[in-house]
Amino acid sequence: MSNLNSLSYFWPELILTGTVLVAIVADLFYRKEDSFKVAWWVLGGLTLTMAAIRMGGSAVTDLFMGTIALDPFAEFFKVLILLSTVLVILISFKTDELKNYSVGEYFSILAIMAFGLFLMASAIDILMVYLSIEIVSIMSFFLAGYLKKSQLSNEAALKYVLYGAFSSGIMLFGFSILFGLTGSTKFFEIRQALAGLENGANLALIISAVFILAGFGYKISAVPFHFWTPDVYEGSPTTITAYLSIAPKAAGFAMLIRFFNQVMGDGTAMINDSWSALGGLPWPQLMGVLAVATMSLGNLVAIQQNSVKRMLAYSSIAHAGYMMMGLPVMSNQGIYGIMMYLVMYLFMNLGAFFVVIYIQGKTGGESYEDFNGLGWTMPFIGVVMALFMFALTGLPPTAGFIGKFYLFAAVIEAGPQFYWLAFFGALNSVISLYYYVRVVKHMYLRGERSDDVSMPSSNLVTVLLVFLAVPSLVLGVYWEPVANWINQSLVLLSSGM
Amino acid sequence: MILDDYEVSNVIQIQINSWLIMIENYLPILIVFILAAGFVFVSLILSHFVGPRIDNKVKMMPYESGVDPVGETRIRFSIRFFLIALLFIIFDIEIVFLYPWAVVFKDFLTMGSFIFFEMVVFLFILAFGFVYVWKNGALEWE
Amino acid sequence: MDSLTNYLFVSASLFCLGLYGVITRRNAVAVLMGVELILNSANINFVAFARFSGMNMAGHVYALFVIVLAAAEAAVALAIIINIFNNFKTINVDDVSQLRQ
Repeated sequence: MSNLNSLSYFWPELILTGTVLVAIVADLFYRKEDSFKVAWWVLGGLTLTMAAIRMGGSAVTDLFMGTIALDPFAEFFKVLILLSTVLVILISFKTDELKNYSVGEYFSILAIMAFGLFLMASAIDILMVYLSIEIVSIMSFFLAGYLKKSQLSNEAALKYVLYGAFSSGIMLFGFSILFGLTGSTKFFEIRQALAGLENGANLALIISAVFILAGFGYKISAVPFHFWTPDVYEGSPTTITAYLSIAPKAAGFAMLIRFFNQVMGDGTAMINDSWSALGGLPWPQLMGVLAVATMSLGNLVAIQQNSVKRMLAYSSIAHAGYMMMGLPVMSNQGIYGIMMYLVMYLFMNLGAFFVVIYIQGKTGGESYEDFNGLGWTMPFIGVVMALFMFALTGLPPTAGFIGKFYLFAAVIEAGPQFYWLAFFGALNSVISLYYYVRVVKHMYLRGERSDDVSMPSSNLVTVLLVFLAVPSLVLGVYWEPVANWINQSLVLLSSGM
Repeated sequence: MILDDYEVSNVIQIQINSWLIMIENYLPILIVFILAAGFVFVSLILSHFVGPRIDNKVKMMPYESGVDPVGETRIRFSIRFFLIALLFIIFDIEIVFLYPWAVVFKDFLTMGSFIFFEMVVFLFILAFGFVYVWKNGALEWE
Repeated sequence: MDSLTNYLFVSASLFCLGLYGVITRRNAVAVLMGVELILNSANINFVAFARFSGMNMAGHVYALFVIVLAAAEAAVALAIIINIFNNFKTINVDDVSQLRQ
């Protein structure tokens, strides 16, 4: 579809762009103390964007001459991204770390990052993939280093920038080799050209696929491209850590699914030949090994942590590993499992981070000792945090169990060659119980019990935690609306229309 | 096709000739490079061997118009230099986008004035960045 | 003399030099220079492939975009390095290690 006709389908992104421009200008007119008011402009814009997504028809087409796909799959991820952005903006009102900073740019950069994530979820062209990854990365470098006076934040930003720029460069080199091999940059034309390549191109194909995987793996913090995650997650402001742990991961998985489904495979169940014979390497087995390595490393190192924030960082690596289990089985069930897990993961992980943010404001620290006795002094926080911890482990009847159930079901249904994947997944879930229950242990079995029981001092925090805790529990027993939504969204744009 | 000795030597001669023709285009560059490098090396080597060299403590001090050096040798580097260079790069890149657009402008003008307004929107969005920079005082004091 | 492999060879050597720079250098700005080398090697690849397969315009346009993105990324990275210098008084990436392991 040409550029002019595509604009009428592009309303959510256009509204988001308008929001960013309005926020930048509004920031110029507020003094430093009032800079939080920019958040209201951004929230209004995000609400309008959600309305535009809902009101847009369910067209399945490609926009802007084949660079962006508009399909229910992209819409699903856009809704997830908007939800996480709104929640993170709301919690940023109550965080302690941003107290003496002028936060106008913080909120506008969050909106730009949401725009970049929208593009990431709908990209079907090499340049659009690189462009959107760079938009998201550059904005997250900036946000990770937002606390200019804090040494930890600066160091996190430096490590993030050097690692992220390096990984993007490697991914671009892989893309350039793929462009050279196939003569085109759109995913569908690449797939058609790849089918006609002879055996001599195998080495170049393998090298380019490995480099591209390096770039995607950096975005979803898969092993062995995860080295930036712990330091960046620990040094950034905790609200940004919460945002980074869900939104770029979701968009990164959308991009991975599109790339491997549309370029390497043929858009349908790829368990047998068309996916595994690419370049002579057994790709399903390789992805399975990477998934197991990711979840194992995340779990094993999380056990040794003394800071809850760093533990949650490593646990998010492990959760990316669980989601990567759905990639080798690139059938509809695999993608369904990844999408279901992402929905549950949003609620559980954001909830856990929001509790950490609140405790950071109360006690000034984020280690396990700061949670001592919380179960008795603040029973609301105790119950909610225990719920999030059990949900992250994957115990029934919480939402985490449903997410893991669908993933394991997809893996087992794919055939006996993937049973070892499911085995390692279950083993790692059991291992993760240790460090999640450790938080509950500190909350209820340590510290003195005192009689002054208090609720969170701010209504906004209570409302947010209830909003996140209720689905974490209810979706564990009644997940049919989510299942229907995902069923409707499992429509990917396939071979060039 | 079997070539006898006379034809083989002919083919080799033609190949050497074509190679020489290609090299001939780059010969001036090689000469310039040799001259420049030669000038540098010859002057350095000559001054090292022919010139006098007496080391003296007074001669080795940094030059400060004849008086003794006062204060530190490092200057406080103002952040304004970096800001101006950065802003120049960013807006220069915006102009880089204008060049391909200008090349294809006339061909697309047959489809109406959409192409003009496309670029106006692009420049308008970047103008917001310019207003931000202006209002935040990054363009002052230099 | 004017064949595709020459350009690919140049870009591959640039990639390796950039890789060496990123891995080995301790100065943060030098690491950034290595990253720029890697991005430019990908650019040479794009342009060379575009030229030798019938003037496929996509490669040239993409090289333009990559130049722009590389400059924007370098701008943000340099700003972060300035912040690091103001806080730590050094830009040696080995010395900036307050976060545990």
